[in-house]
Amino acid sequence: MAKKLLLFKAFLKKEFILFRRYLVNSIGGMLTIYVIFLLLLGSYRGLVGGGDHGDTVEQLVVGYVLWFFMLSTYQDVAYTLRREAKEGTLEQLYMSVHGFGWVMGAKAAAGFFVNSILVVILLRAVMVVTGSTLNIDLLSIVPITIFTLIGILGIGFTVGGLTLVFKRIESFTQMIQFALVALVAVDPQSVWWVRLLPGSYGASLVRRVMIGGAHLSNLGFWECAFFIVISLGHLGLGYGIYRLCERKAMSEGLLGHY
Amino acid sequence: MLKVESLQKTYPGRRGDPPVKAVDSVTFQVKEGELVGLLGPNGAGKTTIVKMICGLIRPDQGQVLINGFNMTSARSSALENISAVLEGNRNLYWRLTVRENLEFFAALKGKNPKTLTSDMEKYIDFFRLEEKINVEARKLSRGMQQKLSIAVAMIANSPILVLDEPTLGLDVQASNEIRVLLKRAVAEEGRTIILTTHDMSVVQDTCERAVIISDGRMIADDKVHNFLELFKAKVYQIRIRGHLTETQRLALLSMNEVAVESESHEGTVLSVRLEDPKILYDVFAVLGQENSFIESIDRQANNLERVFLEILRRSGGGGQETAVI
Ligand SMILES: Nc1ncnc2c1ncn2[C@@H]1O[C@H](COP(=O)(O)OP(=O)(O)O)[C@@H](O)[C@H]1O
Ligand SMILES: [Mg+2]
Repeated sequence: MAKKLLLFKAFLKKEFILFRRYLVNSIGGMLTIYVIFLLLLGSYRGLVGGGDHGDTVEQLVVGYVLWFFMLSTYQDVAYTLRREAKEGTLEQLYMSVHGFGWVMGAKAAAGFFVNSILVVILLRAVMVVTGSTLNIDLLSIVPITIFTLIGILGIGFTVGGLTLVFKRIESFTQMIQFALVALVAVDPQSVWWVRLLPGSYGASLVRRVMIGGAHLSNLGFWECAFFIVISLGHLGLGYGIYRLCERKAMSEGLLGHY
Repeated sequence: MLKVESLQKTYPGRRGDPPVKAVDSVTFQVKEGELVGLLGPNGAGKTTIVKMICGLIRPDQGQVLINGFNMTSARSSALENISAVLEGNRNLYWRLTVRENLEFFAALKGKNPKTLTSDMEKYIDFFRLEEKINVEARKLSRGMQQKLSIAVAMIANSPILVLDEPTLGLDVQASNEIRVLLKRAVAEEGRTIILTTHDMSVVQDTCERAVIISDGRMIADDKVHNFLELFKAKVYQIRIRGHLTETQRLALLSMNEVAVESESHEGTVLSVRLEDPKILYDVFAVLGQENSFIESIDRQANNLERVFLEILRRSGGGGQETAVI
């Protein structure tokens, strides 16, 4: 276990070094995300004609920030797999003594920390600009968010695995970011099976905490257990698909850039 | 000790292409402290063999044992004993510096960066990277990048190193430097190295032993000096004007040491292996009978390239295609 911790530290260090070294890029990306939010907010207010409309701005704020977190997490896995396969470092990751599952786990965990910082900054900024007040109950929000993202990792692995085997599906993978919008936006309260989709259940729970003012203990044991099982299920399914793709890639020599 | 046993790999054909038999029952061993070259023309199957050794491609048949650990059934133990620099220049993170690359990949191989300091200094010194220690890998010269890749592969102290075309695309100076460093890694540290190349001079310069691969098959495995010994006899090339007569041809071809290399309007080229100098007189006698005009006689250097072509010719593998390497 101590060795796995070293692996995690190595990834964390690498992520932070790259974040700092390419700070201008990182900030540029954040500004873009922020500006898109302002545009959304503007067109939303234009549509509903100004004034206070209860919770809806808060819905937009929470949904948008959560979408950004999910997108970053998804890209950390899917894009990393694609880029490293193209550039040749994926094969070195596969030669790690830790086993590839642990390597990707450490990478995702490190990515979570870096993304968290960005998310906190973004959340702060959009809360200020909209003047919205949210229930920032970290004890409830952090675990729910982590399990929501765990489910999203499943999508990352699925798409990453498919790109390993079918190198030319980039246009398809672009669509995932829009699919994520839908997953955040749909409301499991109205249609029950929406809970089975990755991200949706978690997003609704986060909204209940941040906007509805609920605490983790208000959600109840069964709801939490159900949510955790679904998230782990998505990760398991996604990783399973990835392993199938990996098998094919290893038998056809596709881990490199052939 | 690296053991490769009856490795076999056929790639499925893509989009209607027929399957490619890339590696066909390849078996060899590399002992501790040996530096062995895997030599063969482009497309021979070297990279496929290397990737099967590294556990990156699953063999259809056969097995790879790294210090006794089976790459398939004891993968993680096997990987503790082997590191690789794969073909091309992308074994590094280009946006990390020299030091950061060394630290990251050491951790990937299970080493604690804190216990690394002395090894770090050693390899930075060994590969003469000190001035570039804080430079991003993408800003290094191609030769420096390759040295860093090898340093990265060595830093975790895996006893076995695999290098796929380590001097490909390097200028002469960088290529020579790498050859020297590899020899030192074996001599000073007792590392076991297996490298692939299509460049005979690399093997002749660095390796004690060579395994020759052509069309996915092993066609020879011997000490490099034995290969050279095998054809130690000097070879002369005799160029004559015009064609040989039929009697001349029969007489010459009855001599084992003589081969007709080419025959055209411009003239005829014979090659004569001079195991016994007397043979030259015999050849001259045959040529003299018909007053053939000798335009030139050249002595050919005996290098691994000749040996290689000769081995390919004898094995029945197309000497023609390999002439382009
Ligand atoms: N991933 C792959 N899929 C299909 N064919 C491949 C793949 N990799 C290599 N080949 C083919 O297998 C043969 C051996 O290739 P390779 O091992 O790269 O040889 P070398 O490294 O000696 O040049 C070649 O004919 C090559 O085109
Ligand atoms: Mg190759």
